[in-house]
Amino acid sequence: MSENAQAAQAAKAPAAKFGGRGINIGIIVAAVVTVIGLVLWGVQLSGGLVQTGMRNLDSWGLYITSFMFLVGLSAGGLIISSVPRAFGMKGFGGISKVAVWTSICCTVLAIGFVVIDLGQPLRLWELFAYSNLGSPLMWDIIVLSTYLILSIVYLWATVRFENGKGSEKALRVISVIALVTAVLVHSVTAWIFGLQQAHEFWHTALLAPWFVSSALVCGVALVLVVIIALRRAGYMELAQENVVKMVKLLGAFVCVDLYFFACDLLTSAFPGGSGTEVVNMLVAGPLAPFFWIEVVGCAITAVIAFVPRLRTNPLIVVGALLAIAGIFCKRVQLLVGGFQLPNLDYPGAMTSYTVTDTSGTLASAYQGMVYWPTPIEFGVVLGVFGLGVLLLLLGFKYLPLKPTERSH
Amino acid sequence: MQYGMVIDLKKCMGCQTCSTACKLANNLPAGTWWNRVLTVGGEQIDTARGSYPNAEIHHLPVACQHCANPACVKVCPVGATFKDKDTGIVRQDYDKCIGCRMCMSACPYTGVRSFNWEEPKFAVGFSIGEEESPAHQKHTVEKCTLCVGRIAKGQKPKCVEACAGRARFFGDFDDPDSEVSKLVRDRESMQLLPEMGTNPSVHYLV
Repeated sequence: MSENAQAAQAAKAPAAKFGGRGINIGIIVAAVVTVIGLVLWGVQLSGGLVQTGMRNLDSWGLYITSFMFLVGLSAGGLIISSVPRAFGMKGFGGISKVAVWTSICCTVLAIGFVVIDLGQPLRLWELFAYSNLGSPLMWDIIVLSTYLILSIVYLWATVRFENGKGSEKALRVISVIALVTAVLVHSVTAWIFGLQQAHEFWHTALLAPWFVSSALVCGVALVLVVIIALRRAGYMELAQENVVKMVKLLGAFVCVDLYFFACDLLTSAFPGGSGTEVVNMLVAGPLAPFFWIEVVGCAITAVIAFVPRLRTNPLIVVGALLAIAGIFCKRVQLLVGGFQLPNLDYPGAMTSYTVTDTSGTLASAYQGMVYWPTPIEFGVVLGVFGLGVLLLLLGFKYLPLKPTERSH
Repeated sequence: MQYGMVIDLKKCMGCQTCSTACKLANNLPAGTWWNRVLTVGGEQIDTARGSYPNAEIHHLPVACQHCANPACVKVCPVGATFKDKDTGIVRQDYDKCIGCRMCMSACPYTGVRSFNWEEPKFAVGFSIGEEESPAHQKHTVEKCTLCVGRIAKGQKPKCVEACAGRARFFGDFDDPDSEVSKLVRDRESMQLLPEMGTNPSVHYLV
């Protein structure tokens, strides 16, 4: 995944002095991957979305999964840096700007994933001309763009403040607004799914708070991976106590997220009605691998976070990566799980546009996962992640993100 | 006004004439079916569940339900899916659709909305069907229009006209004297997935 790539590429830089050849090679590689992704997107648009694994009965796929995932990833950085600022608490040792920069990059990618999923990207302007303000998708577009702008303003204000300009009060006000927007952005993304009565798995009031907790898990984990890699690469100094503080926080968030999952499963299964199908699909059905990777991975993360002896740097990185992978698996469960249980499952005319696997009957198309991505989808997604790495590295190279004495 | 349909399941024999008539009238691309007759029975189309003498098979024609409270209309970010005030028909504006497929996901009636996943291909090299039927566009969502063009000319939807078993009825549910209102009043009927709260304008006589 991108996190690995980011860590690996950051680690390539010489340990003594950050920058130089390592980061330049990283930038070039990321740029090439981005261009390949763009070309594949062009192929997808000209040849049609029929080249993806998406079909009428599973009309969203890896792109919307990645969108959910990236919105989540964008949370951590902003929240980690704005919470201490907003409440006047001690921060995490000057990582604020690096953390917000990862947030900004992830938000750009989230928007990118929506765009590559669209059939008619040239009609995007209609969103502003004919906005249906009642649509959760419209809410998300508004909140997500506000969030992006606010994150940039927050980063700019932080840099200014650290250079001795601007008041701390102004920065604090921005951080409070940014924090509220961050919570909103996850809730609104959850509502795209959670307000649809058509999908039993999605239609729950828990979905919004659950999205916030998952976002905190993978967001904090991403910041941890990035700062440990940057410290290793000699980009910045960071006392281990700050890392430990963040790891403990990660442990707490993971437990909240697993608790929400347990609540949801119990509420679905207890009446013994159709909710049982949802639980069976996750625990022992087609989505079981993703379910168990998430549960076991997050449990391991919690153990690493809470047992002092295990909080060594390599294990912290392993725990953080497991948490990120776990949350990605959760996104897959949510997206595919929504389509895996059709409301009308009677056989009818089946064509190459009905489901991904049309080799058998309608029932057999639901035997395994109803949706699985095609190579072109993996390629386009890789391209978007390439853009993320590119933005991240360019930021580290050209933006004043290094901690100063006044950093938080 | 709320135009809609009544389908008598006791008369439906699963012949797919409605599906085919719809396909012809609306010049549907290859692989696209706005109206499908589903088999309530075995795993395959037109097969029964169980074995003689307890075998069971029914047919269920399903297309857009033209709901009084449509889930799709609420979620469309640009209003390309809209409920026509004059007729109560849920319509789709191909020129406006951005292809986000939010409506497909929000609709509880699995499979009634279809997306043109590629440049539409046709069985014959020329356009067929009703002249008012708009051209199909790549990467946009479409579905049953209740033959809005035919209705404007005072005709019935093509599937109603073509039904070999005379199982389909068309009319205005807001008019208590209409044929469809009377049928629903006099006979036992059901709506699909009433628990979704969408209040479909297609009623099935059972």
